Amino acid sequence: MDLDPILLTLQVAIVATLINVPVALAVSWLVVKRRVPGRILIEALVSLPLALPPVAIGLFLLLLLGREGPVGGVLDDLLGVEIVFTWVAAAIASAVVSFPLMARAIMVAMGEVDERLEMSARSLGAGPLRVTLTITIPLAYRGILAGLLLGFVRALSEFGATITVAGNIPGRTQTLSLAIYQKVQTRDDDAALALAGVSVALAVATLLVHNWLLERGRRAR
Amino acid sequence: MTMPMLSFSLTKRYPGFSLECEAEFASGRVAIFGPSGSGKTTILNCVAGLTQPDDGEIRIAGETVFSSESWRNVPPEKRRIGYVFQDSALFPHMSVRDNILYGHRLTPAKRRTLEPEQVIDLLRLGALLDRGVTGLSGGERQRVALARALATSPDMLLLDEPLSALDVAFRGTIIRYLKRITRELGTPIVYVSHSMSEVMALAEDVLVVDGGQKVVQAVPSIALAHPGVGALADYGTFENLVDAVVEQEARADGLAMVRVGDVLLSAPDVYAGRGDETTVSIRAADIILALDVPSRISAQNIVRGRVEEMHTLGPRVLVYVDVGAILVVEITPWAVADLNLREGQDVYLIIKSTSILALDRPNRPAG
Repeated sequence: MDLDPILLTLQVAIVATLINVPVALAVSWLVVKRRVPGRILIEALVSLPLALPPVAIGLFLLLLLGREGPVGGVLDDLLGVEIVFTWVAAAIASAVVSFPLMARAIMVAMGEVDERLEMSARSLGAGPLRVTLTITIPLAYRGILAGLLLGFVRALSEFGATITVAGNIPGRTQTLSLAIYQKVQTRDDDAALALAGVSVALAVATLLVHNWLLERGRRAR
Repeated sequence: MTMPMLSFSLTKRYPGFSLECEAEFASGRVAIFGPSGSGKTTILNCVAGLTQPDDGEIRIAGETVFSSESWRNVPPEKRRIGYVFQDSALFPHMSVRDNILYGHRLTPAKRRTLEPEQVIDLLRLGALLDRGVTGLSGGERQRVALARALATSPDMLLLDEPLSALDVAFRGTIIRYLKRITRELGTPIVYVSHSMSEVMALAEDVLVVDGGQKVVQAVPSIALAHPGVGALADYGTFENLVDAVVEQEARADGLAMVRVGDVLLSAPDVYAGRGDETTVSIRAADIILALDVPSRISAQNIVRGRVEEMHTLGPRVLVYVDVGAILVVEITPWAVADLNLREGQDVYLIIKSTSILALDRPNRPAG
């Protein structure tokens, strides 16, 4: 079996997750703990990619990251690099699509941390950032890790946005789901099934760890 | 004139409830008393900086920490107060030691007036330091929370219902520790309570609030007798919570002798050893007052004292009798008339041993 799609999928999903974690933590903190004004709007925006067709997301990204787009144009002018139709574009597409799952899970995990513990820490002399780092995140870490894995597992299976913004180039942007699609198109059912089997194995393994973490978190309370 | 440790004038509006209250406290142990929903915890949270008032001013030890007029709002971490929640709010992912040191480590060296060892010693937590906090009993949790707050050398302690989440057996212990904190460390305490018995046992000054408004501020005996407090104070269940020392351990028949003020009382279910401090609870309505020593009576404790104060509240008269400590006795106006009772008079108190409840239990692991 060709290992390229498997390795590329892992690479794309890991990078997508790494992009998302700091953003999801920051947004969750703003919404759940700081209660910033307009948080209802922020929460809606967080969930938006969940409600849009992935292909539409891919289209927006294409417009944004393409050489004519606002972000792609700047990158092209300054660094002479092009993102579209590279694995980086696939990672960005996977990040956007998987962001809601991760952020929503982290919001729940942070919301479950007893506010009185954080208020106690404040009155003991800790500023908001220190409270987050020493109280909120340590107490919510299982839920945060579970959210991270949920985002990761979604990124593993990303298809619509990826094919739109990164294409389906074997060895360069062809992830597992894109490879399966191609095998199906070329009537290579055995190869398609084998790759689908790998997808199932990756997803099941990730979800098992995810559920184990949540279960441990529940018991710790 | 000495600077008040705390003064505030606050307005805080919620849908269906608004708090409007101002007060000033000198020092020592002060209580904010009121029924649930009266706004007393809101006052405490405003002082701590956990709730922002709509209007007003708060000064702690002379420093303005909140002023709506000058747009000043010092964040809670800079207010130098130790806040203790009703249920302790210990950090579950840290040991007892790390809980206690959390705030101490954040306190600048030049501001440290209390060392953790001193606080750990005072609250007798030495043996618990390496334990996690989840297995602690209610009383132990509350002591750790007090130590954690004190280790930051705060200007004052704010306690939200420090006794009400506790098993009866632990209340005595915490009452004695709170007294030791003000006596030995000099840290003022402001605490919220809905029990007049606790206020009487602990506070030197009490602010009574109801429906978001101040009713009265006075020493507890005067506040308790205020007409506006009558409906709130729940006199029928008023208990004397008084310090006691074990003079003689429980004998084979189960009775021990404890000293309260200048008098000795026999009491059941005393688990503390000879010479140990304990706290006993005696309901004011359970004490009988007499002018002569009665004879041939089953009650085992007949002690002499002097009437210090008398306050009439409808069908009840609260008589404050000095036996070396103050015991409040609840009788009727008819009894006062029958005995022709006056302040300064010598009287006998008749207390059944079984009416005396020792608020201590031997140390045991929490169930």
